[in-house]
Amino acid sequence: MAIVQASHRSAILWRIAKYGILSLGAIIMVVPFIDMFLGALRSPAERLARPPVYWPGDPQWINFKRVFTELPTLNWLWNSVYITLAVTLLQLVTSSMAGYALAKYRFIGRNMIFRTVLGAQMFPFFLFIIPIFFILRYFPLAGGNGLDGVGGSGFLNTYTAIILPFAVTWYGVFLMRQFFLTVPDELIEAARLDGANEFRIFWQIVLPLVVPGLATLGIFVFVYQWNEVIWTMTITRTAPDLQTLPVGIYLLRGAFTEEATKSLQQAAVAVSVIPVMVTFLALQRYYIRGLMAGSVKG
Amino acid sequence: MTHDRSPEARAPLTELSDAPRPTLAQRVGSKSVAPWIFIAPMLVFGAIFFILPLLYAGYISLTRWNGFTAPRWVGLGNYDYLLFTDPRFWDTFWNTIYFAAGTILIGVPLALVLAYAFTRAYGQAVWRSIYWLPYITNVVAVAYIWQFLLDDSFGLVNRALDAAGLPGPGWLTDPSIAMTTMILIFVWMQLGHNLLLFSAGLAGIDESYYEAARLDGAGERQLFLDITVPMLKPTLLFVLITNFITGLSYFVLMLVMADVAPQGPIKVTGLYMYEMAFSDQRLGRAAAAAYILFTVVLVVTLVQLRVFRRGGVEAH
Repeated sequence: MAIVQASHRSAILWRIAKYGILSLGAIIMVVPFIDMFLGALRSPAERLARPPVYWPGDPQWINFKRVFTELPTLNWLWNSVYITLAVTLLQLVTSSMAGYALAKYRFIGRNMIFRTVLGAQMFPFFLFIIPIFFILRYFPLAGGNGLDGVGGSGFLNTYTAIILPFAVTWYGVFLMRQFFLTVPDELIEAARLDGANEFRIFWQIVLPLVVPGLATLGIFVFVYQWNEVIWTMTITRTAPDLQTLPVGIYLLRGAFTEEATKSLQQAAVAVSVIPVMVTFLALQRYYIRGLMAGSVKG
Repeated sequence: MTHDRSPEARAPLTELSDAPRPTLAQRVGSKSVAPWIFIAPMLVFGAIFFILPLLYAGYISLTRWNGFTAPRWVGLGNYDYLLFTDPRFWDTFWNTIYFAAGTILIGVPLALVLAYAFTRAYGQAVWRSIYWLPYITNVVAVAYIWQFLLDDSFGLVNRALDAAGLPGPGWLTDPSIAMTTMILIFVWMQLGHNLLLFSAGLAGIDESYYEAARLDGAGERQLFLDITVPMLKPTLLFVLITNFITGLSYFVLMLVMADVAPQGPIKVTGLYMYEMAFSDQRLGRAAAAAYILFTVVLVVTLVQLRVFRRGGVEAH
């Protein structure tokens, strides 16, 4: 009897501890974002006071307007949207095509190709930064280059250079293959007997069945590409017109050295975070599923 | 005319030659040609953006090159220099190990405890959204958010510590703790991801184990230590090793923080490589550093594959 009581008491304690731990963690997750928003609303006088005023008494909502009028934010935003959507679309096309071939056809070398897809995911991105930079820089016949790859600037400072390295990802191919595997073979065979050619089968019969997979991959690529910094920064360092929001904000950091201007920087940071947050909160169901399918591959 | 390749349907050669030849469109849309068209973009891409760069980086690492003039062949000179002469390479290497080990030592236990609470809590979608916010935030925003929070005298963190009567350290200015600060920020970014991996592993543990143990009078602490931890071992190993690999390869946060934090203590090998390549124009040396670091990552990856093959977990 005493044991049962003890375990009952421990269950109540555990319930308190459980929500206590989760709440404490949640505060640590959220407070930094609130701190950023408050910072964006602080007036120069509040920033320069010693100690600075924490709660903005006179919230400077105008900072969110100034971000667009005084900084090239509109241009950055456009680049972010354009590049993110282009990469997302390209990956949906290439991943679903390759994933379908690997899932539903038998052909010479299929297993070897699939093993390469799995193995290639283990190569870290840092290994590719230098060679891909110079492959694009000295790409034959691009950007004024001759056949030998010199003479012009190649793909340097072009959208192509930002987008192309992300046009296909091994992860995307792997993920779509997993979704295509769930499509019954009988359905495809029946369509063949009806005389449909392979492309019509893919487009009209199979693809509609993997829309959840496309949604998963789409949202995953969207979030990844919106937040991509290292490659975009490397390739657009000398091309301010092509920079995305995070890259632009980082490379313009020299403009925010004065304490009074830092509210504007924090407002710009908030603008770079909001689109992806809204997208994520709206579609998180698909996002989580994509990550699970990709992470636990063993 | 049939495209069925099963043996009983295969027509004798003589009969086939009498049949009308398929048109080009029919041949391209057939079962034997179509898969190659479907997979062609990936193969072309894989050749240009995977295989070629790996070979090219290998070649660059054997030369002395500034990116503009003709590269000069130096054999293994760059590797020799980095491993046996350069004093900084090993500093960055140990920084990298410190960072990677720190992220798992702090991040994995935190994620495990939180996931344990999370899987048994109401309002999972809400908790998950909250814990995911840092993971979907771009690294520049993360860096600036924390620069303000961790300001020596006026950041929220040190003001809170001050109010509690504790001395606030110079999170980003004190060379002896700058790297630990990087680890903590990175853990903050990754927590939601690890939490999700653990919660998936936890969901796989049959509830009946817990019920049986509760009937035997086990408390929550015992349930956690005697059932959860051993049953979760495969997931735990997976998270530990993948986190370690991520930690070894990571450097973007340190790159973005390089202006505000002391340079030396937070310089990991990835960042060292990046700066050698794009600030100092020493491409050969940088490519060699990348390959050395990759070798380390590869060894850890192979250990992971071995561990998981032996355990037979989640093999596709």
